[in-house]
Amino acid sequence: MKKELKLKVNGQPYDIFVKPKTLLVEALRDHLALTGTKRGCNSSSCGACTIMLNGMAVKSCSILALQANGAEIVTIEGLAKGTELSPLQKAFLDHGSYQCGFCTAGMLMATTALLTENPKPTKQEIKEGIDGNICRCTGYNSIIRAVTAVVKGEYKEAK
Amino acid sequence: MSEYSVIGKRVHRVDGPEKVTGSAKYTFDLVLPGMLYGKVLRSPHPHAKILKIDTRKAKRLVGVKAVVTGKDTLGHKQGIWRRFPELCDEEILCREKVRYIGDPVAAVAAIDEDTAEEALDLIDVEYEPLPAVFDPLEAIKEDAPQVHDGIELNININRHIEWGDVDEAFKKCDHIREDQFKCSSQAHVCMETHDAVVSYDYGGKMTVWTSTQSSYYIQRLMADMTGLREGDIRVIKPPTGGGFGSKFELDSAQFCAAILSMKLCKPVKIVLSREEEFTATKRRTPMYYFLKLGAKKDGTLLAKEARVITEGGAYTAMGATALYLTGFFSSFPYKYPNYRYDGYRVYTNTAVTSAMRGFGAPQSTFVGESQLDMMAEDLGIDPIEIRRKNGMTPNYEVPGQAFIQSCGLHQCLDKIEEHVKERGKLPPNHGIGVSAYGFMSGGIFNWFDTPYAFSAAVVRINIDGKVDLFTGACDIGQGSDTTLSMICAEELGVKLEDIRIHAADTGICPPDLGAWGSRETLMNGNAVKRAAAECKRQLLEFAAAKMAPNIAYDFDIKDRWVHLVDRPERGVSYFDIVKEAIRGKDGNAIMGRGHYTPHRKGMISPAYSFGVQAAEVAVDTETGRYKLVNVTTAHESGTVINPVGIEGQLEGAIMMAGGYGFCEDQPMDEGKILNPSIADYKLIRSLDMPETDILEIDTYEPEGPFGAKEAGEGLTNPTAGAIGNAVYKAVGVRINDLPITPEKVLKALKEKEKKKK
Amino acid sequence: MSYHCPVCNKVSSSALDLARHIIGRGDKVHRDWIKSKGFKYSELLTLQFKSFGGEGYRALSEVLEKETKVED
Repeated sequence: MKKELKLKVNGQPYDIFVKPKTLLVEALRDHLALTGTKRGCNSSSCGACTIMLNGMAVKSCSILALQANGAEIVTIEGLAKGTELSPLQKAFLDHGSYQCGFCTAGMLMATTALLTENPKPTKQEIKEGIDGNICRCTGYNSIIRAVTAVVKGEYKEAK
Repeated sequence: MSEYSVIGKRVHRVDGPEKVTGSAKYTFDLVLPGMLYGKVLRSPHPHAKILKIDTRKAKRLVGVKAVVTGKDTLGHKQGIWRRFPELCDEEILCREKVRYIGDPVAAVAAIDEDTAEEALDLIDVEYEPLPAVFDPLEAIKEDAPQVHDGIELNININRHIEWGDVDEAFKKCDHIREDQFKCSSQAHVCMETHDAVVSYDYGGKMTVWTSTQSSYYIQRLMADMTGLREGDIRVIKPPTGGGFGSKFELDSAQFCAAILSMKLCKPVKIVLSREEEFTATKRRTPMYYFLKLGAKKDGTLLAKEARVITEGGAYTAMGATALYLTGFFSSFPYKYPNYRYDGYRVYTNTAVTSAMRGFGAPQSTFVGESQLDMMAEDLGIDPIEIRRKNGMTPNYEVPGQAFIQSCGLHQCLDKIEEHVKERGKLPPNHGIGVSAYGFMSGGIFNWFDTPYAFSAAVVRINIDGKVDLFTGACDIGQGSDTTLSMICAEELGVKLEDIRIHAADTGICPPDLGAWGSRETLMNGNAVKRAAAECKRQLLEFAAAKMAPNIAYDFDIKDRWVHLVDRPERGVSYFDIVKEAIRGKDGNAIMGRGHYTPHRKGMISPAYSFGVQAAEVAVDTETGRYKLVNVTTAHESGTVINPVGIEGQLEGAIMMAGGYGFCEDQPMDEGKILNPSIADYKLIRSLDMPETDILEIDTYEPEGPFGAKEAGEGLTNPTAGAIGNAVYKAVGVRINDLPITPEKVLKALKEKEKKKK
Repeated sequence: MSYHCPVCNKVSSSALDLARHIIGRGDKVHRDWIKSKGFKYSELLTLQFKSFGGEGYRALSEVLEKETKVED
């Protein structure tokens, strides 16, 4: 039996019906067609499905969609302001912090949440912030360099 | 004007904006109207006869549209070594026998994934379990169960390389070592699991969207297996979430989706689960290594003999190539005057082993570099010195095998020696281990039996000067789309943003072997460069006519400026020339074709890259745990086309190869992989990742585009060996089997203690 | 002097090299030839992968030395 789910995703309110067993990642990808969020393991160990839920980084395969009822969610699609990329997105481009790109949404959401919570993280704190996210291509260090550059103020927020 | 205006610059990847905004559409994201979802039923037995498959109940389930088994296929066997029919041994959908836990026996298409999953439980398969064999050393015994009928001793393939007189040379050695090693398996762990959307229509044409390293291989193998004509199958590679060697063979997602789609004339999508990805796709080849190495007192290496027995798993796959390459790269990067290699790939009832980044060379480099350090210690010679004494140099011929043109190994050794000196005296239980390596820039061998050129490209210039580049190269994350666009822009004399690349779509791109063996920069790069040069030639004809210089000048294009080479200020705009050229050619678009097939380059590859790596570890002697402190790599890959790309390849290789040495493993019980999830399969995460420093060495490869050669897989070779040598330097224990886990280190430390007493 | 494979005509410079080819190729036609000379393919292989020194090739190379040599 499907149940009603009300969500705000990237500022847009949605009112949909999902099965009780539907995961949040499935609701986002399959019901709202927000396919920027990926799914790498379905067991909350790879981090590819990381989104921001009420400001915090959450692996969207680790909670049921209905548990997010009433929540405010930000996905990778919500990071840019219009056509202007967020500071982290720009830094990822400059530092080559992605290759195949499949973990990138999760990485960007984990690091965006980290900087929301702690705008001046140390290198160790950045490492801890992405330790739940696997990247098989880059070896993480270029991601850490990109976040460090943003922390140092090298990229400005879009107006 | 500087020598190059595009290559060597720090640029954004051409697929960057899509990837950082989540708008890149992977196969995983595709949904077509009317699309069905497929699932694959797999064998729970390592070895069994299929007596009966009853699909009636599954077919009756509401929402199920089709159930297929091996009986719905042509019954062909496929393999990527197409030239050798006996090595094409995989049916994909098994008809009579299953040979590993995970071998597919049936597939379902339904209106959604849940229904398909439910239907799998309703398929009734009656098996007769057969005795199974899991270890290659057991499988080569006379009385072992036979994995494939008629294959003596389960030996799938054997490969032998020899030069010089090895037995005589050993007689002349002052010191000989014989050592045994065991190299473990490793999972690719692509972030995007294997997946495919296949749409077969009533007109008899098939379109395949799939996460692959070679759209051409998939097209050809799919044609072999379905009986369709090659041209009726169009394979499109959307952005692909990693490959690392796991995605250039026809896999169960692609084939089962195709069979289902052909039955229904509807699109079918199959995405493998993470567990299937671990248990039922290919993996790195585990190897038993027996090495004999002989040297003179002064450290001159006179002879090496290597014997290898590899765990093949149930089918041939690309394991045959891994067997050959591990034998060839066992001699790398040194000048052995006498060398013998005997390699055997043995069928077992385990998941199939095949290609993985480095392709046999990480194994041979781990064992070879470990033994070389032991030899150096026996002789009282510095590890860097023994490598310098025997290391390859430019223009060296590996007897009867290969010709090496550019080689910067000695400069790399110098740099690493400096680096080790700079680190100075290390704290207690810290150690730095060194490992040297080399790798090929694409393979020359044609066991796939393609009649086409190995690489080809087409360049077309539009009226507004925008350039369409068509190539069969497959960007799986490594960045070939960017690198090839840069090569095209440089050769044509335009800017990177003038290029739009169309890659890996067999419907519009020339056939190409795809992304494996670190071949794309050199092989596709050459093809692209030639295609662009052909376009430029056509443009310059018009430029010459238009500018009509009074003496015979050479023309060139750079930064969109068509000019006289000797008087660059005299020129015209590229955009004007394009317009005039197209009009002047009766409206015929400017097009250039280029291809690359290596000629007279030995048996392996047109070019080789080299490097030396130093890994520093800190060992906790109480627990055996150790930390990777720093990994510094001096490497040379010819002219650097895309510096950001090379950094990414290097650091990423350390994550993967470091993992091979440090923690990644696939323990098995009776053929069952015990850790088929990312939670249980340990790989290097950000907190374990060491500092990584790169020391770039300049070389120029005459065979490569603008002097470039590979920078992809070679970087995966040295790390496990460097870690092993570092652990030994730190605490004096030598681990000969991968991965070098804390348990093994602790056990060895305890044994060492015991011996002291 | 050269040695020609009696099965596929591959030319080798020594009998030992040809023995390596025949065992290495290992397909049915080559295995059958080995069998026809009174050897067991599996025994030759076992000999070869149990020891250093190319033992498995030697016996076969003696036969090849006699039977396949071609004076150039």
